[in-house]
Amino acid sequence: MNLWLTFRLSLSRILAAKVRSALTMLGIIIGVGAVVALTAVGQGAEQGIDSSLASLGANQITVSATSPTGLEEKDAAAIAEIEGVLKTSTEVRTQGTIAYGSESLGASIIGVSPSYEDLGNPEVAIGSFLPTSPGLQNSRTIVVSARGADRLDFTPQTIGETVRVNGVAFTVVGVLDDADGFGSGVNVYITQESARSLFSKSPYLSVIRIQAESQEAVSPVEYRVESFLRYSKNVRDDEDATFSIFNQAALQDTIRTVTGTLGILITGIAGISLVVGGIGIMNIMLVSVRERTREIGVRRAIGAKQSQILTQFLMEAVVLSTLGGLIGLTIGQLASYGFSILGGWDFFIDPTTVFVALGFSALVGVVFGVWPARTAAKLQPVDALRFE
Amino acid sequence: MSDYVVEISDVRREYQTGEVPTVALAGVSLKVQRGEFVAIVGPSGSGKSTLMNLIGCLDRPTSGTVKISGKDISTLDDNELTALRSRAIGFVFQQFQLLPLTSAVENVAAPLLYQGLRPREAHKRAAEMLTRLGLGERLDFDRGRLSGGQQQRVAISRALVTNPDLVLADEPTGALDTSSGAAVMEVFKEMNAEGRTIVLITHDLDVAAAAKRRIYIRDGLIERDEADSMAGAR
Repeated sequence: MNLWLTFRLSLSRILAAKVRSALTMLGIIIGVGAVVALTAVGQGAEQGIDSSLASLGANQITVSATSPTGLEEKDAAAIAEIEGVLKTSTEVRTQGTIAYGSESLGASIIGVSPSYEDLGNPEVAIGSFLPTSPGLQNSRTIVVSARGADRLDFTPQTIGETVRVNGVAFTVVGVLDDADGFGSGVNVYITQESARSLFSKSPYLSVIRIQAESQEAVSPVEYRVESFLRYSKNVRDDEDATFSIFNQAALQDTIRTVTGTLGILITGIAGISLVVGGIGIMNIMLVSVRERTREIGVRRAIGAKQSQILTQFLMEAVVLSTLGGLIGLTIGQLASYGFSILGGWDFFIDPTTVFVALGFSALVGVVFGVWPARTAAKLQPVDALRFE
Repeated sequence: MSDYVVEISDVRREYQTGEVPTVALAGVSLKVQRGEFVAIVGPSGSGKSTLMNLIGCLDRPTSGTVKISGKDISTLDDNELTALRSRAIGFVFQQFQLLPLTSAVENVAAPLLYQGLRPREAHKRAAEMLTRLGLGERLDFDRGRLSGGQQQRVAISRALVTNPDLVLADEPTGALDTSSGAAVMEVFKEMNAEGRTIVLITHDLDVAAAAKRRIYIRDGLIERDEADSMAGAR
């Protein structure tokens, strides 16, 4: 009896008892379906987080002052010379008021160096970002965040018009698409030179952004920067510093650890549901062996070897579980398509998921089909034929 | 090869049910030659089913020897016994015992497939055998669409398709009405006329009358062994 015929026989048997087969497969269907859907959600979420982190700029380290005098211009100049640093940008922040027409509101006024455009990756919705040429650094131009533009009732025609920052006139050159970050304040961006000459005459900085030469260089650069700052500011290793260093790669690692943990959780759920599904299949196969004892006897009488009976029942269990896996996979993919629309990420069918889902389903059939199949094969022909 | 298809000498078969062993066969010896048509006749509980199981290589004796086609079945393991059964014995059961969800031609092909024949060849030979038994029009019918008589002819086709040394029929007319039963017995007579060895197990003396030799069995022992005086004349 070749495998193809055995397979066809198993399939016709499964189809002959549709309700029973469906109920038997239910455990596998739910297990595989849930895991496929959850995996897709996990991958989609990770993809979303990755792309929003990538928009922050690659290989970056951000040093923020934790006290008003925490960072100085000369620190930025020194950091720019540290090995592994590709470029730096600096920010000074002050609080102020921005007014346009009859509206006015409080804002974080951020004075940025020309290289900010490369490191901060501002997403310009309308107009352009601040001028970068050295000659235009004292120009009174301003870029406003989307929320700021909204609150101040900007229209597209506002580009080129004048707003007042702490009473000083600035020309609006652009509106950003980015969020303002946490909190309710709005961010406005002006050149660092303007900020220094108008609002913040001290040599102190709020933020130094550092771009490392490569992904591998991020950690060593972080270490060198921290050592240098501690040394130059005379802060011992066990003391709290006047600055904090934020490594984007570290955040990414944390998120990966979280998604990794979720992955382990999903795998655990998958394992449990497959075992439960497998026990369901084993149960029905044992019932089936009992119901078909006479048939087994007849098959033995007309020349079936033990191994051929074993193959037949094992095949049936494997076909049942694999079919369940296939149905679960289809349902799971449909669900993840739905989630992708809701969550706004790309839908794709991961070949790994398909192979793993079907592979494990088949494996469940083998593992939980062996015992019933052996029971069938070990029946004594005489007893099987006599069985009522 | 020996000319005896069945050689049984001094066979006992006991079953261990509870404390006291039940004796099903209490020392039976008999030989069946190639080409014979033998009926083993006895009431229920006489030991005839046990005898059938031994002849059919489905069971082994407690003591004594059973040789089928010259092979002592006590010395064979399960696989060898299956191989012998597959080659030497064709079974016909009382309840037909066609395989479920399987067409007539697939039923008849099954023993050949278990022997390892290619599906195409097995189906061809199965179709030929069914056609010879007048079921050429019903090859693809499953058992639900065949009458009792037709089902039994499918079962007989299945028994014959491997060209066995011996056809072993257990109450083959037991589940049939009189006319279907008579038709099935005609098939057995024709098969025997073509030279096939047939052993028929029955409790029905009318059915046994169709055989050329009748072995009466009672309480695990052979009571009488009578050959048909007309046997030579046929």
